[in-house]
Amino acid sequence: MLQYIVRRLLSAVPVMFGLSIILFAFIHLLPGDPAATILGQHARPELVAAMRQRLGLDLPLWQQYVNYMGDLLRGDLGRSFVNNRPVLDDFLIRFPGTIELTVAAMIYAAGLGIPLGRFAARRPQSTGDAIVTVVSLLGISVPIFVLGLTLQYGFSVQLRWLPATGRIDPRLTIEQVTHFMLIDTLLAGRVDAFIDALRHLILPAIALGSIPLAIITRITRAAVLDVANEDYVRTARAKGLREQRVDGRHIMRNAWLPVVTVLGLQVGGLLAGAVITETVFAWSGVGKWVVEAIEAHDYFVVQSSILMFAFIFLIVNLIVDVGYAFLNPRIRYS
Amino acid sequence: MSRTRFGALIAAATILVTACGGTTATPAPTTAPSTAPGSSEAAPSGSAEAPSQAAEGTPKDGGTLIAAIPGDIASTDTAFIQDSNSSAVSNQVVEGLVGTKPGTTGEIIPVLAQSWDVSADGLTYDFKLRTGVKFHDGTDFNADAVCYNYDRWKNFTGALASPDYSYYYGAVFGGYGANSNMVSCTAKAPDEAVIVLQHPYSSFLLSQTITSFGINSPTALKALDADNADPTKSGYNTGAKGAMVGTGPFMFSEYVASDHITVVKNPDYWNKDGIAHLDSVIFKPYPDQTSTLNALQAGDIDFAFNLNPTDIGTLKSDSKLQAIDRGESCNLFHLAMNQTHKPFDNLKIREAVAAAINKQALIDTFYGGQATPAVTWMPKGGLYAKDESLPAYDPEAAKKLIADSGVPASDLTFDFWYPSNVSRPYMPDPKGIFQAIASDLQAVGFNPTPQTKGWRDGYLKEESTGKYPMWLIGWTCDWAGPDNFLDTAFFYYTDGKPNPEFAYTNDALHDTMKQAEAATDDATAKTLWEKAQDMIRADMPTVPVVNSTPPAGAAAYVKGFVGSGNLTEILNSVWLDK
Amino acid sequence: MATTVQGVRPGVAIEERASRGLWRDALSRLRRNKPAIFGMICITIFVTVAILAPVLAPYDPNKGGLGPSFAPPSSEHLAGLDKLGRDELSRVVWGARISLFVGIVSVTVGLCIGGIVGALSGGIGGWVDTVLMRAVDVMLSIPGILLAIGIVAWLGQGLPQIMLAVAFTNAPIFARILRGSLLALREAEFVTVSRSIGSGSGRILLRHMLPNALTALIVAATLALATAVIDVAGLGFLGLGPPDPRTAEWGTMLTDSTEALRRAPHLIFAPGIAIIISAIGFNLLGDGLRESLDPRLKR
Repeated sequence: MLQYIVRRLLSAVPVMFGLSIILFAFIHLLPGDPAATILGQHARPELVAAMRQRLGLDLPLWQQYVNYMGDLLRGDLGRSFVNNRPVLDDFLIRFPGTIELTVAAMIYAAGLGIPLGRFAARRPQSTGDAIVTVVSLLGISVPIFVLGLTLQYGFSVQLRWLPATGRIDPRLTIEQVTHFMLIDTLLAGRVDAFIDALRHLILPAIALGSIPLAIITRITRAAVLDVANEDYVRTARAKGLREQRVDGRHIMRNAWLPVVTVLGLQVGGLLAGAVITETVFAWSGVGKWVVEAIEAHDYFVVQSSILMFAFIFLIVNLIVDVGYAFLNPRIRYS
Repeated sequence: MSRTRFGALIAAATILVTACGGTTATPAPTTAPSTAPGSSEAAPSGSAEAPSQAAEGTPKDGGTLIAAIPGDIASTDTAFIQDSNSSAVSNQVVEGLVGTKPGTTGEIIPVLAQSWDVSADGLTYDFKLRTGVKFHDGTDFNADAVCYNYDRWKNFTGALASPDYSYYYGAVFGGYGANSNMVSCTAKAPDEAVIVLQHPYSSFLLSQTITSFGINSPTALKALDADNADPTKSGYNTGAKGAMVGTGPFMFSEYVASDHITVVKNPDYWNKDGIAHLDSVIFKPYPDQTSTLNALQAGDIDFAFNLNPTDIGTLKSDSKLQAIDRGESCNLFHLAMNQTHKPFDNLKIREAVAAAINKQALIDTFYGGQATPAVTWMPKGGLYAKDESLPAYDPEAAKKLIADSGVPASDLTFDFWYPSNVSRPYMPDPKGIFQAIASDLQAVGFNPTPQTKGWRDGYLKEESTGKYPMWLIGWTCDWAGPDNFLDTAFFYYTDGKPNPEFAYTNDALHDTMKQAEAATDDATAKTLWEKAQDMIRADMPTVPVVNSTPPAGAAAYVKGFVGSGNLTEILNSVWLDK
Repeated sequence: MATTVQGVRPGVAIEERASRGLWRDALSRLRRNKPAIFGMICITIFVTVAILAPVLAPYDPNKGGLGPSFAPPSSEHLAGLDKLGRDELSRVVWGARISLFVGIVSVTVGLCIGGIVGALSGGIGGWVDTVLMRAVDVMLSIPGILLAIGIVAWLGQGLPQIMLAVAFTNAPIFARILRGSLLALREAEFVTVSRSIGSGSGRILLRHMLPNALTALIVAATLALATAVIDVAGLGFLGLGPPDPRTAEWGTMLTDSTEALRRAPHLIFAPGIAIIISAIGFNLLGDGLRESLDPRLKR
């Protein structure tokens, strides 16, 4: 197992390496010059030249790349062209916001999607199944921002049950230690603030989680149906095992596999969806920040943060694959 | 959305500066700015004195105001601030020698200067300073501090001395170092600073009211390396702890990029009547107008600086909210054309465009009634504004003008640009307004090709360099003077050439405006500025569309806000009735 | 770009049957699949509306000022009027054309790119496979919307760029699916048989493997059609939509309707229902295809 993990980690190296080259090339292909962006529309050419030199943009591309990778391997993600702050610092401030949001969305999607899928599969073609199918299709058909703004209007504006925007009521001054709002509030011993942060999390998590919810529901349903038709399940039933036991021991044990795979793959989609969700809910996270960085040609922010995204995506999928082993001991990591 | 580069100001105006203090206003000719400013927007201003006591009951102290601004701030160094988001914050913290009276756009009041004398030749400004004032870092405010700031601006070099950073200094003083209109700043006594100009400049005091001429603590500037040749390395510019140290009613506390900026009450504010009621103000960027309104209605925020005017009905019908009037309009939205592009080199075509646009329909649809049709190239109520009886909406007349122009039908196709991802006070819904105008144009026989670009992502740059044949743009004043609109905002000359933005050549107009700016009495100034407007009217270089009165929105318990047409309000008078 | 095509089983086990037989079987199974039939009805409506838009639309979709802004539904304007006084129903009808066009073009382009990569990877194998699949991994690891923003930043704002952006987010998924199917088929009996009777490898790939491997790809493409409109809407929300805002396009219309939620809640229904019908149609058909093309899933 350990060997497998190491090998998987090693296989991620060429991917990250390739990604860094592609990102680097792509970013430098973008029209516009970061030096001119920093100095603005009226900058004199000699100033732009000086700025390019300072940013290292006057070097040959390959050398810029080597420098960047050298720094990266030493754990230096570079500095923002816009405010000269280390990219890593800003990333660590914003990333917890995105993590909190995506994890909450995933909990919502999986926590609701798996039971719904199992429910629908229990009696295929029934009314209940049809309702679940339609609802999950609705989930895929509604863009995040439409759902988000509608939820805000319904639950925050009309019903006033939940806050519409932000991560926490800014009036509650909570010391930011980890930048995970839920953790920081607890560290500060403020249960009221913790509940407030939780309330802020609900609507964005639902908006972001709706598409994964639909997908997970459908995959679970399909997987359960798939397994339920297998001979060993029929045998188990024929033996007279209680339905609950058949369900838990025989069906779900095997149906988990495709579900878990999809969970892993959804992480990529969640990170993408976070960009829009963060805008709608004025949520301070990494998505909004990267979009602004692309507009500002802030090379290191774009490069490094997308690399971090990709890294997390790869790690999550590695965890998923390793998770297989626990769910299905038959899998050998050959 | 944010980071709005707004265009120029300056060029002297004949706005006669009759302020408090022993002032001898001496209007005189001025230097034209040497820069080629991009047009559009404005914002900053100086500080307020005692808040006008609103008739809303006795103010209560305490509480935090959460205010939405349409985008993140661009800088915390007032010398570099040129966008309305940053100035919304800096106006609370940093004060200048003079300011404008809250609720006005052109009435000068003393702030850090108690009074001033202007020499008969208009070259020497002798400012008597307030004593006992301290910066937020505890250091003394005095004449040395004043001159440290003025000398700092004058001695900017490299990137700092470019319009992209110290734009307002360059524009007001015409340059840096020896090229600056400022000869010297001398600390004659601890409470007396003397500024000597090279040429008389009648708008000098008015120009010094904007936030870019705020006095910062020299100690704090030095501590955070504010003069680093690379401004991205100056913590003073990028919002580090200890940045933005002024003398205002609020003190800068914290900046988390794209999340929030916090200012807290200055309990030792020099003006005891102006001590803030609020304990703190948290500014949060809200780029999406719909979520801003949702947040306001849900109670997440208390105040929104920028709302879509068509939502004003929602604010008024909700007893928990209020729409806040910000006084007379100080902006202009116009449909711009560039005369180097066909068919806009043809006067009849430009007149046809003017007759083709249904301004009232735009006002009804997009401004929620919060605008009036523009009558000239500046706000209707602005100083020396003249009703130029612009063409009324008349599609038939427009068709006839096109026919008369002799322009072949093939030349009636052109690129028409609008900015995406933005809403401006004078242009709340560019995408919608574009559609309405494009349809109006199509109805009379034009064939506009839709083009768009992000506001920050090249739109301003491209329009200001004359790349677009036709586009949407506007201007919010720094102060309500004709020079602030007609000359450097729109139709100025640089090195003898017209502003490339519009490529509108009219030497006689240029001369008239220069004379108007040098005029020494009100009557002459009025005559000359009206003549200038007539000349522009004859050439119809752009089509003035509306002057808007952009609303702010707030929870009903927010009291004491004093709005102003140039949108540079100070929040020390605000209190929470809850 | 929030959605990715999921739930397609790479390498659907396809037994030794000639491609024609496979399709005939599939079709007959599809006919018995009620949800798939319903999906096909939805798609038929969608396509018919798109083709017959000039006949069906009661008004000119771009003609404004037909009445007051945001007029509620009435007998003349069944779905009401939008901000500019245009007939919302006519815009939805014409919007079917644009949305269908955007969907088909972006998915087709994505299929071409992904198909070539997947075919080379799965067909040739070896180091080609390794290199291409690592490249696909790289593409998959970039969040789709950031990729799209980058493409628009690079190539400028326009409908072709948007379609390309959507295509690029789908392409790596298509590539991976096709490769998976091909790998599964390499060892399939009928391929081994072909090889043993001396057929060339190119011929085997083209004549035998590709037609069978395409099934999974078709399912994925059908599902991708469902999300294309939504992806375009997301780009529009970020200000990267089609440059001509007058274009009656469902995503843009839906974006506009959310801005007017308070004053004209009715506006959300027409484009919303249209998007949902098309998405449900393609999804149900995709599911139906998957079930009928994969004999193992018979039930």
